[in-house]
Amino acid sequence: MEIIVCIKQILDPDLPPAKFMVDKERNKVIPPEGIPFVINPYDALAVEAALKIKDEKGGKITVITIGDKSTEDIVRKALAMGADEGLIISDTIFEESDSFAVGYILAQGIKKIGRYDLILCGRQAADWDNGVVGSVVAEYLGIPIVTRAKDVKVVNGRVNVERVTTDGFETFELELPALITVSSELGQARLPSGWGIIKAASKEIPIWSGKEIETDISKVGKKASRNQLMRLIIPSYERRCEFITGEDLHEISAKLTSKLMERRIHE
Amino acid sequence: MDRFDAIVVGAGPAGCASALVMAKAGLKVLVFERGKYVGAKNMWGGAFFGPQINYLFPNFWEEAPVERLVTRHVISFLTGKGSVSVDFKSTDFGIPPYNGFILLRAKFDLWMAKQVEKAGAILATGLKVDDLLVEGEKVKGVKIGKEEFHSDVVILAEGANSLLTQKAGLRKEFSSEDIKQGVKEVIQLSRKTIEERFNLKGNEGVAMEFVGLCTRGLPGGGFLYTNKESLSLGVVAQLSDLIKNRVKTLDLLEEFKTHPEIGKLIEGGQTVEYSAHLIPVAGLGMIPRLYRDGLLVTGDAGALLLGTGLILEGANFAIASGMAAAETVKMAKEREDFSQRTLSHYQQILKESFVLQDLETFKKAPKFLKNARIYHLYPELIVEMAEKIFRNNGEPRKGTFRMVREVLKGRISIWQLFSDVMKARKAI
Amino acid sequence: MKVEEKLALNKFDVDKEVHITVNEEGCRDCELKPCLYACPADCFVLREDHITFSYEGCLECGSCQIACAKGAISWTYPRGGFGVCYQYG
Ligand SMILES: Cc1cc2nc3c(=O)[nH]c(=O)nc-3n(C[C@H](O)[C@H](O)[C@H](O)COP(=O)(O)OP(=O)(O)OC[C@H]3O[C@@H](n4cnc5c(N)ncnc54)[C@H](O)[C@@H]3O)c2cc1C
Ligand code: SF4
Ligand code: SF4
Repeated sequence: MEIIVCIKQILDPDLPPAKFMVDKERNKVIPPEGIPFVINPYDALAVEAALKIKDEKGGKITVITIGDKSTEDIVRKALAMGADEGLIISDTIFEESDSFAVGYILAQGIKKIGRYDLILCGRQAADWDNGVVGSVVAEYLGIPIVTRAKDVKVVNGRVNVERVTTDGFETFELELPALITVSSELGQARLPSGWGIIKAASKEIPIWSGKEIETDISKVGKKASRNQLMRLIIPSYERRCEFITGEDLHEISAKLTSKLMERRIHE
Repeated sequence: MDRFDAIVVGAGPAGCASALVMAKAGLKVLVFERGKYVGAKNMWGGAFFGPQINYLFPNFWEEAPVERLVTRHVISFLTGKGSVSVDFKSTDFGIPPYNGFILLRAKFDLWMAKQVEKAGAILATGLKVDDLLVEGEKVKGVKIGKEEFHSDVVILAEGANSLLTQKAGLRKEFSSEDIKQGVKEVIQLSRKTIEERFNLKGNEGVAMEFVGLCTRGLPGGGFLYTNKESLSLGVVAQLSDLIKNRVKTLDLLEEFKTHPEIGKLIEGGQTVEYSAHLIPVAGLGMIPRLYRDGLLVTGDAGALLLGTGLILEGANFAIASGMAAAETVKMAKEREDFSQRTLSHYQQILKESFVLQDLETFKKAPKFLKNARIYHLYPELIVEMAEKIFRNNGEPRKGTFRMVREVLKGRISIWQLFSDVMKARKAI
Repeated sequence: MKVEEKLALNKFDVDKEVHITVNEEGCRDCELKPCLYACPADCFVLREDHITFSYEGCLECGSCQIACAKGAISWTYPRGGFGVCYQYG
């Protein structure tokens, strides 16, 4: 069983609001200096899903990510959890790629890896929440896809998936190879063991360039982006508190009513 | 792969120093750090003094995240009425190899740990060592949950709250008399404002200590360090006195921030972090046994730091002790003997270095520093004296001696004062 | 500035496992209640006449355990990787 898991490095979603900043001019998030990026929690669940299959059936798990050398940390995290190999695809030509381009790059990387039975992704990245990449990868590879899985099992060379719906779940059975995106309902990603962390620390992680995965330059980078970010702002909330006083309940409720009426009219 | 020459617990200055020296000597070293990343759990006041760190990382300031150099020291006595300060500037301090470095620990510790990794040690973060593996009398490694990790020697560099040192039977329970608590805010201000307000240029920086009102006269003090684009402002107080007087450091820090002298320095700043940490300050008397078969204790875990009041130095002691532990392990490795007899060499190195010598020199300081008059009465006397000296109300002035007598009258006898001064001379 | 406001500035990865527990039996006849003054994060609060403790804002300093003379606090660090994560320190 050859499993490939696509993972992404994101800003720590547990950041307190005060540490979250954007550069309004350049429409960019400013990462807080010194706080390391983390593995997208949905992707960690995809690793977990892969590990569960490996625990039961054996096999090999390769994690793959796009980014510079700093993404090594999240690859090591997945290795520490129990993945077997890690791989980084890195090139300046990929900068400012949108989800479609990212899907293309991953698909090229996966093609170069060559052998795979199952590809797992998170249902979306917890930073931009687009949830597109998995589908694009499947499209480029021409394999079936089920999104938002809460359970993934390999039975007799096929994969059984439970897909989360608003009021329950649907069950699918697919031929391999297939791509599944994993949802939070899958449960909890395991914590790496001590020995897992130690072994992962000294593991070689190859870095492939755009050329090595035979990138078509017209499909990546800013120029190839199909969507464009117009404006990035942090919404501000304001809370005001006003005490309404009066002689008796009648007066207070009358005042309250007229206050509410006033606001209705104005806003 | 599954056995190490040395396991180090904690990636603070003590742990990083020992791991670096051992890894450079070709030993197989594993470092455990419980923080999510190195530095995540560490805070301090602000400045590193002395050459120790330069022995470890020559010319480190060229690439390490140093905030500013300490080119100016200020010591202030604060009362409700005003303050008297000693302001010491030295241009020498701005010339390599420099005298002091203002650092933020989360950033700096991470940098140190990267150097340790580069030297070949394995760094495992997000892992808390729960226990030591002991066989008979010998320490054989450490335990994390159900997992075991074996090594010839374990170096404890776990910091002030030394749970493993205690579990190893090397120290007794702490008493609140032995411990100070430090709290601090990092307050963001623009670089320009900081440089204007503190009269600094380029990478110059100032270290300020405060005595008196900032602890409501309780033993301890306040501090302020200028970072690149923020200030580190904090209060340190004796835990036993906080409890006895029903005072919280939280409240002391808030009061400190609103003192007019401080208020004008932090004006317009925005707090971006709040942190707290303990300091083991009882001096020689609280140092645990620093070694046993297969085990060495370094840095704050060994209470190896100096708190004489005006000086709070721990990081340089931590580095020196970490390096001494590493040298000892190197020797033990050559002899393939990790018994306490060989490891006692560690104590010997410390005795010959400033680590234990300074602690010996200042051994009376901890007791002396509990004298409440230092924090309560003397700042008031000093400020009042200054006021009398400088005030010109049109009347003929009195001689200095008469002024001193007037200020002292009814508050402290000349003999008491004399005795405190003599004690101070011996203690600090 | 209130303590909640200060703590809200810090990054915490709060563990589901509790790392400090207080045996409130011991608190009943503890007159001075030192933990109230020892904790820099106000994790101990006096509600009417009993102590309530919450570990979420804990700065892991260790003061409470040293301060509590009754031995009512069982104290350890959070599991590796959890708890407070300073950005500056
Ligand atoms: C408020 C305050 C102000 C200070 N100001 C100064 C100053 O200006 N100058 C100065 O020189 N010194 C100062 N100090 C002292 C200085 O910070 C310490 O002496 C120094 O940090 C000690 O280094 P260490 O490596 O021994 O311990 P620490 O720096 O505390 O490092 C211990 C490390 O061990 C880790 N750890 C603990 N237990 C475990 C475990 N079980 N498993 C895995 N990892 C573990 C911790 O997460 C931490 O990273 C100050 C201290 C305080 C509290
Ligand atoms: S000090 Fe200990 S016994 Fe007393 S109230 Fe606090 S936790 Fe309870
Ligand atoms: S460890 Fe420190 S911060 Fe945490 S509860 Fe105890 S006193 Fe409060």
